[in-house]
Amino acid sequence: MKIFLQLILDALKDVYVYFKQVAPNILAMLTIILFGFLLARIFRSLLRRFLRALKFDAWSDRMGITAIMRKGGVWSKPGEIIASIIFWLLLIVSIMVGLSALKIPTIANLINEVILYLPNLFSALLILLFGYILAGFIARAVLITAVNSGYQYAKLLAEIVRLLLTVLILAMALEQLNVAPGIVIAAFSIIFGGIIMALAISFGVGGIDSARKMLEKDSAAKDEKKDIEHI
Amino acid sequence: MSDFHQNGIITTLHRLGKPSLQRLEAELVEYAKFRPVALVLPALYSEFEGPAMAGIVEELTKVKFLKEIILVLDKASEKEFRKVQEFMAPISSEVKIIHNDGKRIGEIFDTFSRNGLEVGLRGKGRSAWLAYGYVIGRGQSDVIALHDCDIVTYNREMLVRLCYPVVNPSVDYVFCKGFYSRITDRMHGRVTRLLITPLIRSIQTLRGPLGFINFLDSFRYPLSGEFCMITDVARVNRIPWDWGLEVGSLAEVYRNYSPRRVCQVDIAENYEHKHQALSEHDPEKGLLKMTIDICKSIFRTLASEGSVFSQGFFRSLSVAYLRQAEDTIVRYEADAAINGLEFDRHEEAKAVEAFTRGLIMAAEAFIENPMGTPLIPNWNRVISAIPGILEMMQEAVDEDNR
Repeated sequence: MKIFLQLILDALKDVYVYFKQVAPNILAMLTIILFGFLLARIFRSLLRRFLRALKFDAWSDRMGITAIMRKGGVWSKPGEIIASIIFWLLLIVSIMVGLSALKIPTIANLINEVILYLPNLFSALLILLFGYILAGFIARAVLITAVNSGYQYAKLLAEIVRLLLTVLILAMALEQLNVAPGIVIAAFSIIFGGIIMALAISFGVGGIDSARKMLEKDSAAKDEKKDIEHI
Repeated sequence: MSDFHQNGIITTLHRLGKPSLQRLEAELVEYAKFRPVALVLPALYSEFEGPAMAGIVEELTKVKFLKEIILVLDKASEKEFRKVQEFMAPISSEVKIIHNDGKRIGEIFDTFSRNGLEVGLRGKGRSAWLAYGYVIGRGQSDVIALHDCDIVTYNREMLVRLCYPVVNPSVDYVFCKGFYSRITDRMHGRVTRLLITPLIRSIQTLRGPLGFINFLDSFRYPLSGEFCMITDVARVNRIPWDWGLEVGSLAEVYRNYSPRRVCQVDIAENYEHKHQALSEHDPEKGLLKMTIDICKSIFRTLASEGSVFSQGFFRSLSVAYLRQAEDTIVRYEADAAINGLEFDRHEEAKAVEAFTRGLIMAAEAFIENPMGTPLIPNWNRVISAIPGILEMMQEAVDEDNR
């Protein structure tokens, strides 16, 4: 009985010793997470005001970013979404920093990997954002030029240009995220190359007669020139 | 209407003999293949609990030429919106409901506001304007017809006659306004009978012929809420969101189109709908509010045409109007007598007194601020300010209707 009690006491003692060792770490983790949470909230509030002052929502409306969000079924204000994303990013980072205070090697490695991945995520988002705006500008420029040239399928052409650019931008963003880069590049090459080849073939086949006429006209002009030289 | 007199500078299409509804409908079905028609219905949820809406829906189930029906629902909760969806379900044409109090449409209104587009307070004007945007965005209809949802005597012939002059390519009007008489055991339509007509006649007396006043005087029922137009009119017109909606819309049509392409059509033998209280002592509601808004809209339109107004002019106008309106009462008394209708001369005189007060208040407000309430911007400007707005609206409405 005595031995049995001793065993229980030893186990409890071990737990106590372990808790004594780990308690400061847990306390540090909770403090970091709480502090991070408060900081994230303050930052979200400041960012909201800043974006409101910048009239970010109105800018997003004009740039068509809001329209994309609506198509995706998101009905919050663009500024609100940005502020929420930043809030959650800060919260996740503070949770990770908090967890690292536990000094558990596996978690520390995981956190390092996630933190190293963040710049990729950020640059992918930037590529998507600016790529979308650029695609919009180029498609609009194509539309205006084609309409002014009297091209019948101006809208279709502009949409094709927009589609091609969107495919390009998506491929760039996925590559940045390291999502199966080999497959992405291969798929992009196949799709993009296929479209270009299809366009080249259709243009080539459709333009056979025109090309023949141009060549015949050119050769006839040369013959005519020769005749004059003889005279 | 029994006469065939053409008055004013627009065309009047009378009801002569007994026109066949079947023939008109058959023609419209053919014409609508090339000129699809959208019907816009601005409605409050309370109207679905009233006596008119069931009859309107029943009649609309028989209409075959409509491409789409856009119901703009105001003052309705989510649950009530779903009830309205069920209510409209028997109609075979495609029905889309714009839920003004829904989260998504609320966000659309926020989008207008943060981009500096003032679309006014809730009401028929704003609802109609929103529906026009939706129809333009969908791009499925070339013609838009609109009527109120409180018509107790509704018959699909009203809609058929309203649409025919715009949809028929050989008649080819760009804007058509409905007219009718509003009689039960007495005459209704006090604002048209005792305010609009005497007022425009008084302005003619004081100022001589004025283009817009002649145009307005050509309409037999300028305040009727039923009209039909080509979609382009909805795209370029700026409309007031208050009670000046009807007069303001006519002013825009006058400004943008030749009167040769504008007509009015006799759509019903009789028409009965909700009656507004006179509210003679409260300028914020009832017919007094309506009077002020309508008068301001007329003054503003005339000023934009180059008329100069002074305190002296308004003093003369109020006196001239009062005399005209009193003469008009005598005319209607005789009209009522020959037709065996009740006629309360005292009530009519009280209405004229209230209208005179409203006219003076409108004049004061106009002198103080001639710009008055801003008009809702036209859709061309809205699209220019927010290029994706039509897609956003479609997304909002489609999502709500899912």
